Amino acid sequence: MSTTDCDVVIVGSGPGGSTAAEVLCGAGWSVVLLEKGRNHLVSTTPPHEPLRHFANDEIAAHRRHLLGPDPLLEPRTYRRSVEDGDHLLVGEVNNLPSTVGGGGVHADAKLPRFREEDFRLRSERGPVEGADVRDWPLTYDELEPHYAVVEQLFGVAGETGTNPFAAPRSSPYPLPPGDDMPMALVTSAAAERAGLHPYRAPTGINSVPADGRPACTDCGFCGGYGCPVQAKNDPIAALQRALRTGNCDLRAESYVTGIVLDGTGRRATGVRYLDLRGHPEPPSREVRARVAVVLAAGAFETPRLLIAEGLGGDLVGRYLTYHHQTFTVGIFPSDRYPQGTGGERGRSVTHLHDDLVVDSPELRGAAAAAGLPWVRGGVVEHGAGHLPVEEAITYGRGDHHLSSMVDSALRRRMWAFTMQGEDLPQASNRVDLDPRIRDVWGRPAGRVTYAPHRHELVASAHAAPLHEAVMLDAGAEVAFSATSPPRGDVELHAAANPLGAAPASRHVMGTTRMGSDPSTSVVSPSQRLWDVENVLVCDSSVFVTSAGYNPTLTLAALAHRAAVELCGADPTAGDAAAGAQSDRSDSRASASAVAERNRS
Amino acid sequence: MTVRTRAWRSAVAAALEDAVPGSVDLGALVYVERLLDALEHDPPHIWAAPGVWSGGFGDPGADAPQWLELGPWERQAWSQRVGEWRLAYDRVAAGLPEADDLRLVHEHACEATYGDPAYGGNAGGGGWVRIGFPEPLHPPARGDAT
Ligand SMILES: Cc1cc2nc3c(=O)[nH]c(=O)nc-3n(C[C@H](O)[C@H](O)[C@H](O)COP(=O)(O)OP(=O)(O)OC[C@H]3O[C@@H](n4cnc5c(N)ncnc54)[C@H](O)[C@@H]3O)c2cc1C
Ligand code: SF4
Repeated sequence: MSTTDCDVVIVGSGPGGSTAAEVLCGAGWSVVLLEKGRNHLVSTTPPHEPLRHFANDEIAAHRRHLLGPDPLLEPRTYRRSVEDGDHLLVGEVNNLPSTVGGGGVHADAKLPRFREEDFRLRSERGPVEGADVRDWPLTYDELEPHYAVVEQLFGVAGETGTNPFAAPRSSPYPLPPGDDMPMALVTSAAAERAGLHPYRAPTGINSVPADGRPACTDCGFCGGYGCPVQAKNDPIAALQRALRTGNCDLRAESYVTGIVLDGTGRRATGVRYLDLRGHPEPPSREVRARVAVVLAAGAFETPRLLIAEGLGGDLVGRYLTYHHQTFTVGIFPSDRYPQGTGGERGRSVTHLHDDLVVDSPELRGAAAAAGLPWVRGGVVEHGAGHLPVEEAITYGRGDHHLSSMVDSALRRRMWAFTMQGEDLPQASNRVDLDPRIRDVWGRPAGRVTYAPHRHELVASAHAAPLHEAVMLDAGAEVAFSATSPPRGDVELHAAANPLGAAPASRHVMGTTRMGSDPSTSVVSPSQRLWDVENVLVCDSSVFVTSAGYNPTLTLAALAHRAAVELCGADPTAGDAAAGAQSDRSDSRASASAVAERNRS
Repeated sequence: MTVRTRAWRSAVAAALEDAVPGSVDLGALVYVERLLDALEHDPPHIWAAPGVWSGGFGDPGADAPQWLELGPWERQAWSQRVGEWRLAYDRVAAGLPEADDLRLVHEHACEATYGDPAYGGNAGGGGWVRIGFPEPLHPPARGDAT
């Protein structure tokens, strides 16, 4: 076993871990950033150029696990409730990429902020039976400065003032919005006619050349793909800046399997990991961290690690939330749209509307009719995914194949609204360890137990007819809706539904809840484990409620806040790394002082 | 390179054609054989590298590989997967396919017809032409496979 030293060891290089690394390295702290996946993103040798491994290639990205995790090596399991036995499915369950950059590499990077109410849901809306709705231990106003900085760091392209429901902001978006997808303009106009308020999605993608990387070419292979021209900012920008300080030691293929504690059991001194470059017996190594261990392995893997280590208490893994997704699909006629809906080009989604997140008489009516105190939907994405291989597989085998592909109801003529519906936290929804399935390295696989609350179903049932009417008004000849997780016969969905029986959402949250009371939370308001206070969690596990918004900007803002608090950096510094380069010795000295304080 | 009999090839071609009519003319059998032999190359022919446009891989002046490297565990997973698929195709060729084998043949026929030509199918992009799918702006390198 070999050991090395650093100030902080970070587990996971996704948006959360990369943001924390940038702040800490920029403040002069030494960081070892451990990532279990391969590196396809950025060179670890100066000047840390992109590796350029990505192409417009559906086979590599969607069929051959280029970005991992390979389910043969790292299976996960799923069941709806204990009645399903140990598990219902084994294989891929909400897999986010396991690779340097994590899910940020795959995401099409819609980066909305949450609203004030999202942090005070219990106070503003009240309890819901069967769910554990709580306020966050921080307010929007407290997080706002971090949102503002992270938007700068991620180069968010957006438009201020067009979303009437947006929370107040201290600064405009750093980049102008990117090109609109033409069909999004059509569905936005129809949404406006229905009294909705669509706006251009804030997106962490270069709309113009910025930060030494080019503008997006609207190549169309966006959500689910690495960007071939590195126009996606998150998280390559943060990683490059962290690496360029010289303080970041990024180690791919490093699978953290344990947290090392001192004799008191209350303080972490580092982590153990398997060096996966070794095969078939990967050597076990240890990294010793002088100040802290930061867990940013994502809301599935962070609780899996903590449970395996017996850390964090009984609530670890509980209150798992996704977004309850309601897809409203419109099929547009060829005679009116001979070129199809145009989704082969563009960034997958370019417009959103928030109307179903905010309180309205219609939502109140839906809640009352269902006997619920209130109902909230989620942000609605206007977009399309156009994957011919996936489409072909969906149609099944046989003589109809070519005519179905040419008619192309599910690709060329399709446009969709996806509502990322708020999912209420329930103690029974959780990540834990499967008793029978192990990964290839012998460690128990993570298992999801999840079923939606009635609230999600009511919100979905309210949204579906509304959006179907908008689709029809936009010119669709047919409109229908489906949800994930699906309702109905699980066998049928497992075999035939392209989204499968488990929730397809890649927005995973809530498994190491943040709170002010150790009896009802896993981490403190500073995102530190109550039982081992120098272990910080910097991913969406800490979310108290799921809100109805894409989670990444909020988890990155929280990671920024936690890292700034840890190292005492200037919370408003837009480019921490640049500051560190200009005066590394000063920042090192002040960082050491804060480190000393944190150590004691 | 594994040598396969004419009978094996014609039985597998028939199954591919049955799953996706027209797929064999577009290279589906080539696609399947290259996939089953992918680990006989170094790097394995699993992930085609980006094309010349990338300025990285695929640049003829840079003596760059046309396929991305697999890590050792990825090799292990792909060896296992391809090994199972070889057995499945042998059953198909012997006229004794299981239900999952036919599902696999269908998925590979779809990949071969509409995936990138770098992998040996979709010859000349003909699969895309027949459904009106536009050429990708940033394709993988194709020199080795087409
Ligand atoms: C197709 C797609 C589209 C998406 N679109 C959006 C969007 O538009 N907007 C949005 O907000 N979100 C989107 N998401 C979700 C987004 O990707 C996640 O919210 C985000 O990546 C979570 O960041 P994270 O840092 O918490 O975790 P992750 O990104 O999951 O990163 C965690 C990293 O930790 C590594 N890791 C895990 N365990 C270990 C271990 N034991 N040792 C070492 N390393 C470990 C993992 O390999 C991984 O790389 C999308 C996701 C997908 C797949
Ligand atoms: S659409 Fe733009 S950001 Fe998305 S992968 Fe293509 S070039 Fe990159």
